[in-house]
Amino acid sequence: MRQAILSGALVCLLLPAAACKIVPNPDPNDQSEALASRTDEARMAAYVDANWESQVLPVIAEHEVAYDTWRQALAQGLDAAGEAHGLRPDGEANPWNFVVSGTGTVTEAKLDSRAAKMQVDMDSDGAADVVLQLGPIIRGTAMRDAMPFVVFTDFRDQIEFAKLARAMNERASAGLTRPEGDVIGQTVSFTGVFTLRAAGDTPEIVPVEIEMGATP
Amino acid sequence: MSITRRLFVSGLAITAVLPTVRAAQAQGKGLIAIITPSHDNPFFKAEAVGAEARALELGYETLVLVHDDDPNKQSEMFDTAIARGAVAIICDNAGADASVAPVQRAKDAGIPSFLIDREIKTSGIAISQIVSNNYQGAQLGAEEFVALMGEKGPYVELLGREADTNAGIRSAGYHDIIDQYPDLQMVAQQSANWSQTEGYEKMETILQANPGIKGVICGNDTMAMGAWAALEAAGRTDVIVVGFDGSNDVRDSILAGGIKATVLQPAYRQAQLAVEQADEYLRTGSTGQPEKQLMDCVLITPDNAGRLETFALADAS
Repeated sequence: MRQAILSGALVCLLLPAAACKIVPNPDPNDQSEALASRTDEARMAAYVDANWESQVLPVIAEHEVAYDTWRQALAQGLDAAGEAHGLRPDGEANPWNFVVSGTGTVTEAKLDSRAAKMQVDMDSDGAADVVLQLGPIIRGTAMRDAMPFVVFTDFRDQIEFAKLARAMNERASAGLTRPEGDVIGQTVSFTGVFTLRAAGDTPEIVPVEIEMGATP
Repeated sequence: MSITRRLFVSGLAITAVLPTVRAAQAQGKGLIAIITPSHDNPFFKAEAVGAEARALELGYETLVLVHDDDPNKQSEMFDTAIARGAVAIICDNAGADASVAPVQRAKDAGIPSFLIDREIKTSGIAISQIVSNNYQGAQLGAEEFVALMGEKGPYVELLGREADTNAGIRSAGYHDIIDQYPDLQMVAQQSANWSQTEGYEKMETILQANPGIKGVICGNDTMAMGAWAALEAAGRTDVIVVGFDGSNDVRDSILAGGIKATVLQPAYRQAQLAVEQADEYLRTGSTGQPEKQLMDCVLITPDNAGRLETFALADAS
């Protein structure tokens, strides 16, 4: 009898232990933001390297449209231009992205910045029509969002997806021959990608190719 | 222990609601459970209101629940939804990791989940995950902040709750822009856990240690409201505050010349869209959309703040 009580008590003592698994809280220091983001960055940079020649450049070649042709299409409205030449991810209210190539004259430039830029006049009226973002810091996610093979669902979360956008921007910037010196008044030929949210916005193009020409 | 309690609670729930559910299914298209964080934050209230309104319009019954950012509570609510035979769950979840299991349980019970605002770490178990394009929005907010700061000066960043991906992504978007300006110096960076009270307290302390600050960029609007109240109390209405969400409170502050800018997340529309996709999925077996979807954010300044109402921007007329 005593034994039964004892083993009963023992079972009672053991039961909670068997039913609960003690899971330690992860040490927040083990996964510090910096470490996690470095890993993401490295992984996304590798992803971009692996897909640049095989997937990114072919998409650009396939969807490239001459700047003048694109302007004419835009005159019919942003959605019309988008249907004709644009790329965008599925989902509600995603803006259009375009790939254009063209030649223009540099009207303004800021080349000594981490976010280097050139303003370019495309229709010889002296006013800038587009901005070329030379980087290495490039605004926006046009490169990523123009790629039909890039699907948000395939990525862990927004943070990884943002690192992908940045890695693509950096890869585009790294592939450019950076112009130097006084470029104002020089001609520039380019192929690049940009997002357009409203027809009246100035395209802020992420070039994958630029070539400076002689002063006309 | 919590498992036992959960089972007991769901047992209770089953017993208590079975008759009601049968009645509901006989008349309507079924029950949609809407689970969000606390309605104390108007952002989450707008989600719940938007989702409920759309669900009722489409002929569903609704069950609105609040998990208070407590994963255990959320887990119980998923069990309640399962027990009550919900046809779909709309959820702004209580944590990217902790929410995977309940969404999976709902899926195993044949109930599709449609997530809004926050992602979970795993894809393939929810039908939709519709989130604001926080990275794009944060870059918009940061550009405005940089311009307001005149590209220089000491500033503070108030971060959201660490377990929430949105806290990290907004901070990343802010810094991708701000860190390009070497004359902008971050003198303090602290989490105020999305909370107005904590925003107030943290701001008070930071201000004492750094009286020279010129700006505060916040991961959401409730923290911005808290920070602004602390700055006002200290007579420091010269400090530039920028928020994120697009709440009516911050709108009013912007129009009154207080907080300078925020970034609108289309929370109301997002919640409605989730219900529409749930309806589409229930009727046709597919939403026609990829699981994870981003919705662009809009910068709110004194120029357009007047058109903002309950997390939606009216068209300019």
